[in-house]
Amino acid sequence: MTASPKPTSSLVDRLATWENFLAVLTLATIAYAVVRVPNFASVFNISQAIAGASERALIVLPMALLIIARQIDLSVASTLALTSVTFGLLTRAEVPLAAAVPVTILGGALCGGFNGVLVTRLGLPSLVVTLGTLAMFRGIGYILLGSGSINRFPESFLDFGVNTVADGPIPWTIVPFLVLAPIFGVMLQKTPVGRRIYAVGGSPDAAAYSGIRLNRTIFWLFVTSGVTCAVAGIVFTARLANARANNALGLELDVITIALLGGINVFGGRGTLTGVLWALLLVATIRNVLGLLRIGGDAQSTVIGMLLIVSLLVSNAAERAFADFRTRRLLTGPGE
Amino acid sequence: MTISTPPNVAAAAAGLHEATKTFGGTTALSKVTIDLVAGEVVALLGENGAGKSTCVKLLAGVYQPDQGHVAVNGKPISFHSPLDAQRAGIGVMHQHPGLFADLSVAENLFIGHPIKDRLGRLDGSRTLAKARRLLETVGLACDPAERLGRLRTSEQQLVEIARALSLDARVLIMDEPTAALSQREVDRLFAVVNDLRAQGVAMMFVGHRMDEIYRVADRIAVLRDGRLVGLEPAARLTHERAVQLMVGRPLDGFYPHHEAQPGDVRLSVRGLARRDAFEGVSFDLRAGEILGFGGLVGSGRTEIARVLFGIDQPTNGSIRIDGRAVAFRSAKDAMANGIAYVSEDRMGQSLIMDFSILTNATLTVINQTTRHGLVARSKELALARPPLDRLQLRFKTYDQPVRTLSGGNQQKVVLSKWLLTNPRVLILDEPTQGIDIQTKANVHAMIAELAAQGLAIILISSELPELLGMCDRMIVLREGAVAAELTRAAATQEKVMRAATAVGTATRSPAGRELSRPSAPTAAVAAAPVSKPADLFVRLSVHREWGLAAAIAAVVLPIMLINPRMLSTANLIALSMDAALLLIVAVGQMLVIITRSIDLSVASVIGLAAYGAASTLHGHPGIGVIGALTLACGIGLTAGLINGLVVTRGRVPAIVATLGTMSVFRGLNSLWAGGKQISADQVPQAWLDLTGASVFGVPAVVLIALATLLLAGFALHSLPAGRELFAIGSNPDGAKLIGIPVERRLLAAFGIAGLLAGFDGALWASRYATIDARVATGFELTVIAAVVVGGVAIRGGAGTLLGVALGALTLLVIKNGLTLVRVDPLWLEGVYGLIILVAVAIDALVARRTQLRRRHAQAGAPA
Repeated sequence: MTASPKPTSSLVDRLATWENFLAVLTLATIAYAVVRVPNFASVFNISQAIAGASERALIVLPMALLIIARQIDLSVASTLALTSVTFGLLTRAEVPLAAAVPVTILGGALCGGFNGVLVTRLGLPSLVVTLGTLAMFRGIGYILLGSGSINRFPESFLDFGVNTVADGPIPWTIVPFLVLAPIFGVMLQKTPVGRRIYAVGGSPDAAAYSGIRLNRTIFWLFVTSGVTCAVAGIVFTARLANARANNALGLELDVITIALLGGINVFGGRGTLTGVLWALLLVATIRNVLGLLRIGGDAQSTVIGMLLIVSLLVSNAAERAFADFRTRRLLTGPGE
Repeated sequence: MTISTPPNVAAAAAGLHEATKTFGGTTALSKVTIDLVAGEVVALLGENGAGKSTCVKLLAGVYQPDQGHVAVNGKPISFHSPLDAQRAGIGVMHQHPGLFADLSVAENLFIGHPIKDRLGRLDGSRTLAKARRLLETVGLACDPAERLGRLRTSEQQLVEIARALSLDARVLIMDEPTAALSQREVDRLFAVVNDLRAQGVAMMFVGHRMDEIYRVADRIAVLRDGRLVGLEPAARLTHERAVQLMVGRPLDGFYPHHEAQPGDVRLSVRGLARRDAFEGVSFDLRAGEILGFGGLVGSGRTEIARVLFGIDQPTNGSIRIDGRAVAFRSAKDAMANGIAYVSEDRMGQSLIMDFSILTNATLTVINQTTRHGLVARSKELALARPPLDRLQLRFKTYDQPVRTLSGGNQQKVVLSKWLLTNPRVLILDEPTQGIDIQTKANVHAMIAELAAQGLAIILISSELPELLGMCDRMIVLREGAVAAELTRAAATQEKVMRAATAVGTATRSPAGRELSRPSAPTAAVAAAPVSKPADLFVRLSVHREWGLAAAIAAVVLPIMLINPRMLSTANLIALSMDAALLLIVAVGQMLVIITRSIDLSVASVIGLAAYGAASTLHGHPGIGVIGALTLACGIGLTAGLINGLVVTRGRVPAIVATLGTMSVFRGLNSLWAGGKQISADQVPQAWLDLTGASVFGVPAVVLIALATLLLAGFALHSLPAGRELFAIGSNPDGAKLIGIPVERRLLAAFGIAGLLAGFDGALWASRYATIDARVATGFELTVIAAVVVGGVAIRGGAGTLLGVALGALTLLVIKNGLTLVRVDPLWLEGVYGLIILVAVAIDALVARRTQLRRRHAQAGAPA
C-alpha cells in the first residue's frame, strides 16, 4: 500500500499511487459495465446501486480514521442495528422525528463512547473490545425488540428512504454521506485533528512524546464511529422501511474490506480517504454488475475477497521489485 | 551453500571479504574486509552509524551482503538466515536482547537449539541443569524457570550473554554487551572472554568504552562512514590515534566554549521519586545553565526525564517551575509549561519515520499552523524553515520521509521540532547518539548557543567527554539514586565512572535482586509470587483456569436449582458435543493467535469442508466415511496453507488476508452448493455415527476433541517447534534474529488451524446432518471469543490449552444454562458479548495489579 501523499521528484513515483491504481481499475470496470452489461447504464439501476451503498459509504468514513489511528471497530454493524431498533421504538412510541433522530444519534454516541472508554481506560485492544460489543450491542437490540420488526413510519421518513433528489439518479439516502464525506476528508487531510490521527497511527510513542493525548484522540474517534453508525442506522431504516435487530448483519466485514482495499494500512498511519472512496465505488460497481448478471451475494463476496488479496499481493510484489531495482542502481551507478 | 573458490592462505575462523551493504538509498558498509582468527579478540570501533551493527548482522546471517561475501574457514559462504550462521558455528550476543519475555529464562537460553531427548521431545530437566550452569558462568543468580519478563534490563543482558555462550560457538560476536552492565558484571564477562580465548574461540567485540576495548582486544578494527579505516594490533594503536581514525580528524576544539551565566532558578526538583525507577532526586536548574545527567543505561536518567516531561507520573516529590509547583498529567501539560524533551529513542519516540520532514517538524506546533482552522502549508514552512536552516539540514524536499535522512539529519528535524515550541527547559537525552561528527559539532554549538540565550538545559549522555565538555554541573546516577554531584571543575572521567558503577553496592539476594532497594515487598512477591494468600488478584493471574472454573460453577449451580435438566444425561451429551466441536477449532485458532496472527476464515473453512464432505458422500457414496473425512481434512489443510502463504510469502497482514479468504471460501461454498442442501437421509448412517456413536456412554466426538487437545498439548509443550510458536508471538523480530524459521512456523500454524477446521467441518456435517452453504456462518466470532475468554493474549506469546478448553466450555455452559431457564435465545448474543468484555476487563485489571507489583523488574527497560 502506498503512503499518504508525498510528492517526490520522480514522475513515476507520483503517478504510481494506490489511489490512481484504484481509480483506473474503477473507471475500467464502469466502462466495461456500461458497454457490456445490459441495464447497467439506466438511471434506475444507478440510483439503486448508489442507494444500496448508502450505509457502507457512511460507516467506512470513521472506519478509515480508526484504522489509520491503529484501531478497529468491529461493532459498527451492531451499532447500526441497535440504533435502528432504538429509532423504530421511538417512532412506534409516536415520538416526533425531530426528537427521535437526535436521541438515536445520541444512542450511537453512547455505543461508541462505551467502546472508547474500554479501549482507552482499560488499555484493551480494540479488536477484542469491539468483538465483545459486536455481540453485545446486537444482543441489546434483540432484548429491546425481540425478533420482530417495526414497519410503520411517518410518510415523510419513508419518502426520504425511496425518493431521489429532484427525481434524478441521486437517492436521498446517500445525501448524509455526501454531506459528511467532505467534512471527514477536510478534517483528515487539512486540520490539526487529522494530523494527530495520522501521528497516533504512524507512531503512538512519537505522538505521545510530541504532546498528543492519545486516549483523547482515540476516544473521540470511537464516538464519531458510533454517531456515524447511528446516522447509517436511520438511513438503513428509511431505505428498507423496517427496524429489526438483525439489520445489516455482517456489514462490518464489508466496510473493513472497503477501507483496506482503499489503501488504509492495517498497521496504521497511512492511507487516504480518496483511495477509500474509489474502493467504495469499485466495490459498489462490482456488486451491482454481478447482481445484474444474476450472481448471488456470497459469490459477489468471493470476488471482493479475491480483489482484496490479489491487489495487496501485487502491490507488495511491485514494492519489493522496486526496492531491488533501486539497490542495484545504487551499486552499479556513479559515485562510490 | 558454499561457492567453490580456492581457500585463503591463513584460514581465518570467520570474516568479511570486501563486503558491501546498502539500505534503500544509503550505503551502510562499503568493501570491508575483516578476519577473525581463533583465540583472538578483534574489537570493532566506530561512531554510531559507522557500520558496526551492519558488520555484526552480516556475520550473524541477519543481512546478506550486496557485494563481497562472508567467509568461514577462509571459504566464501552465503547465509540465508541466522540459523545458517549458527550452524556454521557463529554465535552472537545482540545489542538489544533478542529475548522472549513470555518464556522462562532457561527456554530463552536454548530456544532455537533446544536440548532434546531421544524421541525429539524437549528435555526439561537437562535444560534446567544446563541453564543453571550457564547462568553461574555469567554470574546471574536467578531461577532458570522464572519468566524472563520479570528480570531487570541488566539481568536480561546477562541472559543474552549466556544464550550466546550456550551455542558453544567457534566464533563469538559480541555487539555492545556491556552498555547496561555494572563494573562487576563487565569484569565477569571479560573473565569468560579470557577463558574462551584460551579455548581457541575467535571473537569480535563491539563497544564504546575505550578502556574496555583496550582490556579485551588483541586487534582493533576502526570503521568510519561504512569504511574500514584501520585494523591494527591493540598494542600498536594508541588511544589518541584510534579516536582520530574514528572521528576522522584531531579532537581539539571539539566542544564549544561555554561559560554559564546562570540566571534565576527555573526548574526546582525536590525528593522526586517514581516507584521502582528512582528516588530521592533533588536539584535546581538555572536559566542559562547546562546540567548533565551521567550514569549507566538503566540507572534512572531517562526515567527522571520521563517524569519531568509528564509521560510518567512521580510517586513522590515535587517539581517547581519558576517557583510555581506543577504536576503534569501528560506530555501536553509539560509542554504547556515550557518543557521540551528530545528522547533517546529517535526512531521510536521522536520521529514518525514514514512521515515527511515538514509533518514531523511541525507536529508539536500543529495548532499554530492553521488559517481558518485548516493547516496552511505556507504557515508550516514559515515556522519550520528557520530552525531547519539554522541547523543546516541536508535534504531534497520538505516532503521526503524522514526515514530517508541520515541519522544526523534526522536529529536536526527532532531538535527543530522542539525548538519550535519555544521551550524554557530543554531536556536532551543522548542528543548526539548515532550522528556523524559534523552534525555532532553543530548540535554541541547549538546547545551552547541556546544556553547562552538563557534556556535551562538538562543533558543526558553516556558519552563522558560530551558530559564533561558541555555541562556546568552534573549529577551521576546509580540504580535510581543520585550517586554524586560534581561541578565542571571537579568532574573527571574517572570520578564519574566510579560513581556510576561503584563496585560492591549491588548486594544481591538469592533471587537476584538488590536488597538495598527500598521496595522489599515487591522483591518478596517476585521471588514467590503466591506467597501472599490474601491477594486474590495475583493468584487469579497465575491460575486463570480457576477463575473460569468458578465462573462455570457460578452459572451451573443456580440453574441446576431452577431446572434440574441441566445435569440430565441428554443435556450433558448435547452440551459436550457442542463443546467438542468448538474446542477443536479453538485449538487451531489458538495456535495462530499465539504467533500474533489471527484467522478470521475459520468458519468459512468449516462450512466449505462440511459441505464438501457431505455432498461428495451424497454424490459418490463409494468414498466411504474415511474418504469423506480425508476430503474434509484436505480441504481444510489447503485453505489453511493458502492463508499461510498469503501471510508469509505475500506479506499481507493476517487479519486482512483471512478477512479476504473468509469471503472467498464462503463464496466458493455457495457456488458449489448452488442453493442445494444435503439432508440426513442423503448420507450413509455410518457418516452420522461418526459423531453420534458413543464409547462407554461418551460421544465419539468428545473423545476426538480430547485426543486433539492432548496432541496439541504435547506439540506445544514438548516439541521445540511448539515453544517456537510462543517465541514468535512474544518477540517476532527476536525470533528471526536467533534463527527460528518464522515463516515456516507461521505457515505450519495456519496449515494446522486449517486442517483442524476442515476436520471439524466433517464432524459438523456428521453431527448436524443437514448441510448447506451457510453452515457455521458467523462462528468465527464464537471461536475467537472462546480463545480470548480462555486467556490467550491477542498480542501473542501467551496462553494455555486448558484455558482455551475452559473458555469454550464457559461460553457453551452459559448458552446452555440460559436456554434451560428459558431466556430468549436471541439474548444470548448480548450475553456472549458481555462475557468477552468481562473476561478481558478482568485480565486487564489483573495485569495492571501485577505490573504495579513487578514494576521493578522492568525498571530501566526502554519503553
